[in-house]
Amino acid sequence: MTSTLETQLAPPPGAVREVKIAIIGSGFAGIGMAVALRERGEQDFVLLERAADVGGTWRDNTYPGAACDVQSNLYSFSFAPNPEWPRSYSGQPEIQAYLRGVADRFDVRRHCVFGADVLDARWDDAARRWQVRTTAGTFRAQVLVSAAGALADPTYPDIPGLDGFEGTVMHSARWDHDHDLTGEAVAVIGTGASAIQVVPAIQPVVGSLAVYQRTPAWVVPRTDRPVPRWRQRLYRAVPGLQKAIRGLLYLVREFLVLGMAKNRLFLRPVGKLARAHLHRQVRDPKLRKGLTPDYTIGCKRILISNDYFPAVAAPNAELVTAGIAEVRARSIVDRDGIERPTGTIVLATGFHVTDLPIAEKICGRDGRSLAQVWDDGMVTNRGSTVAGFPNLFLLVGPNVGVGHTSMVYMIESQVAYVDSALQAMAAEGLETLETTPAAQQAYRELIARKSKGTVWLAGGCASWYLDRHGHNTTLWPDFTFRFRRLTRTLDRENYVGAPARTSEVAA
Amino acid sequence: MTTIRKHTAAVPLPDGAQLHATVEGHDDAPVTLALAHGWTLSQAAWDDVALLLRPHVAAGELRLVRYDQRGHGRSTWGRYADDVAELSIDQLGADLGELLDHVAPTGPVVLGGHSMGGMTIMCLAAARPELFGDRVRGTALVATSAGDLAPRGETLLERLQLRLAPGTVTAAIGAARVLEGIRQALPPSSRRHQKIVRDLLYGADATDEMVLTGAEIMHATTVRAFAAFYPALGEHDKREELSALREVPVEILVGDSDKLTPERHSRQLAEQLPGARLAVVERTGHMLPQERAELAVAALTRLVGEAAADRAAA
Repeated sequence: MTSTLETQLAPPPGAVREVKIAIIGSGFAGIGMAVALRERGEQDFVLLERAADVGGTWRDNTYPGAACDVQSNLYSFSFAPNPEWPRSYSGQPEIQAYLRGVADRFDVRRHCVFGADVLDARWDDAARRWQVRTTAGTFRAQVLVSAAGALADPTYPDIPGLDGFEGTVMHSARWDHDHDLTGEAVAVIGTGASAIQVVPAIQPVVGSLAVYQRTPAWVVPRTDRPVPRWRQRLYRAVPGLQKAIRGLLYLVREFLVLGMAKNRLFLRPVGKLARAHLHRQVRDPKLRKGLTPDYTIGCKRILISNDYFPAVAAPNAELVTAGIAEVRARSIVDRDGIERPTGTIVLATGFHVTDLPIAEKICGRDGRSLAQVWDDGMVTNRGSTVAGFPNLFLLVGPNVGVGHTSMVYMIESQVAYVDSALQAMAAEGLETLETTPAAQQAYRELIARKSKGTVWLAGGCASWYLDRHGHNTTLWPDFTFRFRRLTRTLDRENYVGAPARTSEVAA
Repeated sequence: MTTIRKHTAAVPLPDGAQLHATVEGHDDAPVTLALAHGWTLSQAAWDDVALLLRPHVAAGELRLVRYDQRGHGRSTWGRYADDVAELSIDQLGADLGELLDHVAPTGPVVLGGHSMGGMTIMCLAAARPELFGDRVRGTALVATSAGDLAPRGETLLERLQLRLAPGTVTAAIGAARVLEGIRQALPPSSRRHQKIVRDLLYGADATDEMVLTGAEIMHATTVRAFAAFYPALGEHDKREELSALREVPVEILVGDSDKLTPERHSRQLAEQLPGARLAVVERTGHMLPQERAELAVAALTRLVGEAAADRAAA
């Protein structure tokens, strides 16, 4: 649906709309950026959103059981605390409602162009503008901010015969709520963060459930509780209290970095906790063996759940570890030659993270796309800027990901950085700002140095954190407050700028 | 690639319990073979047998159904979730009937039962005799008993046990104490745990691997299942209600070193069922389906073959 506002925002057919800043995406990152701009009076910007609503990952992932692995008091904007969270860990509907609420409260929607899927974005070096073609028209922007996110585009596994499957296939991130699973033989492929939530949500209604696992995950208990009314009232009355709890949660989670990035000895108690959790919940020795990882905890994302193991051990469930040989018209055949009749296949197979599709669409000064430039691995300055791509800023870019704490903290760090860059441009009268290859190289070395010896590289697993060269190009490999310090203000020395060519433009 | 079809089913029982069943083979196979496991075990106790049966399943000769008995493995307790006072082996017989109605509603069926699983079949035969000869076309009773498991009071110890726990299984009294003890102190991987399990349940030729596997399966069973079915086993007595089993071919197998259901129980069964084939296997304990999987498979496939031939003739 398009509102009158959007119709005003979108350029008329054939025309090009000029804006100062174009932001791709309206999830946590896009909304956070928009609020920052508005707060300092910047109005000349648009959010290009391919869907019909704000929310990003939290709008798209509506599968049963979808919820956040970080407490809501922490997984929310610092500038928009929410005393009304119904549970300590919120589900997708509550988080999506929160994002919509923030977008309304800070009047972000007036800047949104819905149905604007970015086809490509090219830097026009002569005009010093980004030319952004979308399904809702073309935009010319001085500054392009990609807030497209890392968990945006689902990956579909390359399994022989999957195309010929005659039942229903759906990705967890593209759930078909019209399809009733009651009594069906359902296969869930994948055992990552999405699978672990969808499996217990559907197990009670399906006829039979086969969970196809490649690598088991370490799972720790989920301390999810409803937030009592008195506490919600207390949060409203004493906002400082919620802030203090947020700080405490942040601190506790940051301790995990000690184990994951500094010294793996600190992970031992977490590993013990996960092992005890599995032993308590699964009695069957074979199933227990199948669910026990052979790598150090933390190497892949640590999952939290109290109902995943019981669901896999339910009377109608089966864990399949043999690997999939092929999919047939009405069944899945594993590598042991066992053929399981299947009505619906749920692909909980994750997202394009180390091969971000948006990178193929953004082309810099020499016409090459980010994807081409990053062929040897993603390189940036501070996860935010790329040499050869003037006036381009990435939110949730490479090496900004975190598995242990709130992504919103990282997003707010980056938003501050981008805003600092924009203000520096304005103050100096610069029309373009571009990071240097040297700065990029130095940052790459910094990341490599920090990543060395971390559990992600040395924990004995293959994960979506690592690219095909085995480099960590997704995670921030240190305490997150260090990233915040690094991105508090623009590192001006790492940038070259070009002043506006005519004096009147500088304003 | 030749494959074996397999699916998992949670069979709903009238009281709300669910039986975890594994079905292998094609729905249109000529015969369905259903296997019932023993006390404190699970369907995994039939894994060796199932592996040997796999070529027969792949060849389309039979469909194999294994399931966890109520309160065992993944199966739930149903109406006994809070109170097990009324739990009996008759209930397990009724469960087996429901299982057949659900996963094998038509076509000939062969039943195999080990220990308490054999008693389960006897209870089904007593409660629904009309099934036997019609739907059920063969029965294998492995290391089991029709009753009279209570101590006879011949020795001082037995008399003491009778006084302390009337109507309970002699061997199980010892087993209860031992199993409880090792559960607390020793994991199945420990030497002592395995020695205790071996001495109680296995014959001379059992490998360490067999003993470990068996110990692990039992270790996965809850103390609750152990305690709940313990008196039920003592009360089991179907010696006068076996007539339905005379309608079908019966294979009786027992190990000569079986301490839980000694040889005499199988001999009594054979007396009651004159047409039955009795095999007393040397150097073999109570875990015969594991210890002599090939013998169990031979007996089961004989029954399946007869059932299929019946069908062809009919």
